[in-house]
Amino acid sequence: MSALQEQFVTEARELIRQATDDLIALEQAGASTERIDSAFRAFHTLKGSAGVVELPAMGVMLHAAEDLLAGIRHGRLRIDAEIIDAALACLDQVSRWVDDFGAVGALPVRSGEDGRAMAERLRSLLPGGPELFAPGPIPGKTEDLLPEWVSRLLATEREVLASGLRKRPSVATAICYEPIPGCFYNGDDPLELMRKIPALLAFRIEPREPFLPLADIDPYACNLRLLAISFADFAEIAGIFRLVPDQVRIVRIPPEASSNGEEPGELHDLSLVGTVIEAQCELLRMAERSEDFAGCVGAAARAAVNALRYGQQLHLADAVGRGGALALAQHHPGPLLSELEKALGALADKPSDVVARALDRPDNTTAGAPERTVDRVLRVSEAKIDALVNLAGELVVARNALAYSARQVEQAIGGGEISRSIQRDHEAIDRLVNELHGTVLQLRMVPMAQLFGSFPRLIRDLARQLGKKVSLVTRGETTEIDKTILDRLFEPMVHLVRNALDHGVEDAEQRRAAGKSDAATISIAASRVGDRLLLEIADDGRGIDPGMVRQKASERRLLPQDELNALTDDAVIDLIFSAGFSTVSAVSDISGRGIGMDVVRTTMDQIAGSVSLESKVGIGTNVRLYLPMTIAMSRIMVVEAGGQLFGIAMDAVSETILLTPDRVSTIKTNDGFVLRDRIVPIVSLAELMRLPRQARDATAARLLVVMEAAGRIAAFEIDAIRDRLDVVLKPMHGLLAGARGYAGTTLMGNGQVLLVLDVKELLP
Amino acid sequence: MTVRRSDAGVVLLEGACAVEDAEPLLQLLQGSPLPVIDWTECSHLHTAVVQVVLASGIRPIGPCGDAWVRQWTEPELPRRETVG
Repeated sequence: MSALQEQFVTEARELIRQATDDLIALEQAGASTERIDSAFRAFHTLKGSAGVVELPAMGVMLHAAEDLLAGIRHGRLRIDAEIIDAALACLDQVSRWVDDFGAVGALPVRSGEDGRAMAERLRSLLPGGPELFAPGPIPGKTEDLLPEWVSRLLATEREVLASGLRKRPSVATAICYEPIPGCFYNGDDPLELMRKIPALLAFRIEPREPFLPLADIDPYACNLRLLAISFADFAEIAGIFRLVPDQVRIVRIPPEASSNGEEPGELHDLSLVGTVIEAQCELLRMAERSEDFAGCVGAAARAAVNALRYGQQLHLADAVGRGGALALAQHHPGPLLSELEKALGALADKPSDVVARALDRPDNTTAGAPERTVDRVLRVSEAKIDALVNLAGELVVARNALAYSARQVEQAIGGGEISRSIQRDHEAIDRLVNELHGTVLQLRMVPMAQLFGSFPRLIRDLARQLGKKVSLVTRGETTEIDKTILDRLFEPMVHLVRNALDHGVEDAEQRRAAGKSDAATISIAASRVGDRLLLEIADDGRGIDPGMVRQKASERRLLPQDELNALTDDAVIDLIFSAGFSTVSAVSDISGRGIGMDVVRTTMDQIAGSVSLESKVGIGTNVRLYLPMTIAMSRIMVVEAGGQLFGIAMDAVSETILLTPDRVSTIKTNDGFVLRDRIVPIVSLAELMRLPRQARDATAARLLVVMEAAGRIAAFEIDAIRDRLDVVLKPMHGLLAGARGYAGTTLMGNGQVLLVLDVKELLP
Repeated sequence: MTVRRSDAGVVLLEGACAVEDAEPLLQLLQGSPLPVIDWTECSHLHTAVVQVVLASGIRPIGPCGDAWVRQWTEPELPRRETVG
């Protein structure tokens, strides 16, 4: 895959996301000019890019979508769910194709038909608007932006049309047929189709590209554009051209357009000329690296020439054309680039304020602007960042080793000059390594917006499917989190949101009866709480009935009945996260919560997060996910037991205690003690790890590490606490991958491998 | 022959001129000075033939025998006999 194609795949994904956001915002907030423009730009840029990498099927489809948006933009169409549905479906298709293209460098075999079908679906939503049946033949050409040819045809044929209309008031239809160059070989006779147009009012035949001198002409290459206006019915004309849908554009001419002299979009288009040329400049700058240099230069020159001709800048178009030829000959984009820049300069000097605005606007709101803002960001593959993170992690380990060596030196030679110097250097390196590590980890921090981005669409589709009205409120999009964690959050979030929508949110009638507004609100909010990130998913639905949960829990025998009875309502609701509960399929009748809660809990365990849920019957449910901001580093405590060192994650340690024997009570054979009214069992870590237990003085105090995880508490008896370290935890792999009870390993300063315990597994 | 040069040097289009007539027509026109075309006797013109006529810039002697072309295309052709 060439650099150009790779660039296309990356950018297309960004544009699809942008367009999706815009469409959903449009549907929710109504037609704001900015959003329409933004969506239009995204579709337009996508279409142009599809043309550059030669994906005509994608181009045809996007062209139709663009027409739809143009209709909205010009106020000819009102936004409704159907239009948004169709446009989103189009984006889905594009997204699938971009994936295919990224994977195998080509679109699926059926893409042509699928693209046309999608284009037809989109166009069917354009009632009486201009472009009704206009699969643009060559995506990326500026002529396709707006039906410029219609205005041109109207300008010359207005009298004919007006007189025709006086005789026969009706809607006229304009036809632009650009037969493909090889059509004669296919047995086509384009004029034959034109002859079949009934109620023909005007006809023009013109060369698509200026005719070459007779000596150079290929008589069998069709270079014609056939334009016509007819009073015939739109469907009838579409029928005539049904075999060449990719070569024809059929447009209904609204009566007002044929009577008054207004030609919409004239100046407007000129502003696009500048942005089209800018886009070509960007393309060319990349083209040097591309395998298909000639293709890039050719395409860029063509697009720019077309744009300039379209903007009536004929001398500029000629100059750019010459620059393109020169660039091809010299195999260097320089000549074309310099002509394009000159053309841009010339356009900027034009007295048209529209053009000036397009070129000078600092806030990048012109078409093509998205690429520019995007391009300022350096794209680095995730693998490279991960490698960097790993290296920085190794450096932290090496730094720990240095600390160890520094201590050794100090012990060996005392606090002399050398020792102090090493200490100083160590401190400096320590600080730098910490800073480096922090900075490198920052590289992986991504805004929550990346996660939130998918939900407006998901919620919209689900709500439509369920026939409920739901609005989504998101907060804290800019809060950053490690990408590895963010990637893990999507699935649990989907379950939570789906549960909220499906079971939490009542239908409109029930809501009205409960005195709530018809539209429910689901809010997703991210915020920083200390060194953790709090992600809240809340709805204002019916809430979870603790009585029902209690009943189910009792049916499932999750807890002994007396314990269950003793639980508060809040604690009961928490039960839906307990293992036996969440896998039960029948919970969907308890306002459905529980399905997928399993996923939520498991994921939270894996990323060292936690989840809690609060629900009030009739008011709503609020699920809180507490997440670590990064998972690259863990703080561990190094303890000794049975003559061996073990690491324990600090997250799990609630306190360390030196316990005098008189506080220990023995129940059967187990030791335990009371800590703030809770009975904490004492477990010998050495015994647990099957290590020889050291003889203990029965009167000496016992060193305990109290640990809490997954709602359980226990104290590990250890021989000594050796150290506290920030480490990069490596998961167990190879033969040890299946070993239970270990969270992973890490290297100590002295090169020793330290086993880090998985406290959750070990707690009794 | 649907395309031929008359003894007087006029290029004649006669009867139904099909796609394959485009090339001989082009050959007849590739010379200097540009010859005169007469399309009064043709009954039907293929697009490829019309394209060659258009590309030559010549306004043929009319009216065109192909009624549709006469109505819709002929009026649009350049007024001058030849275009340099």
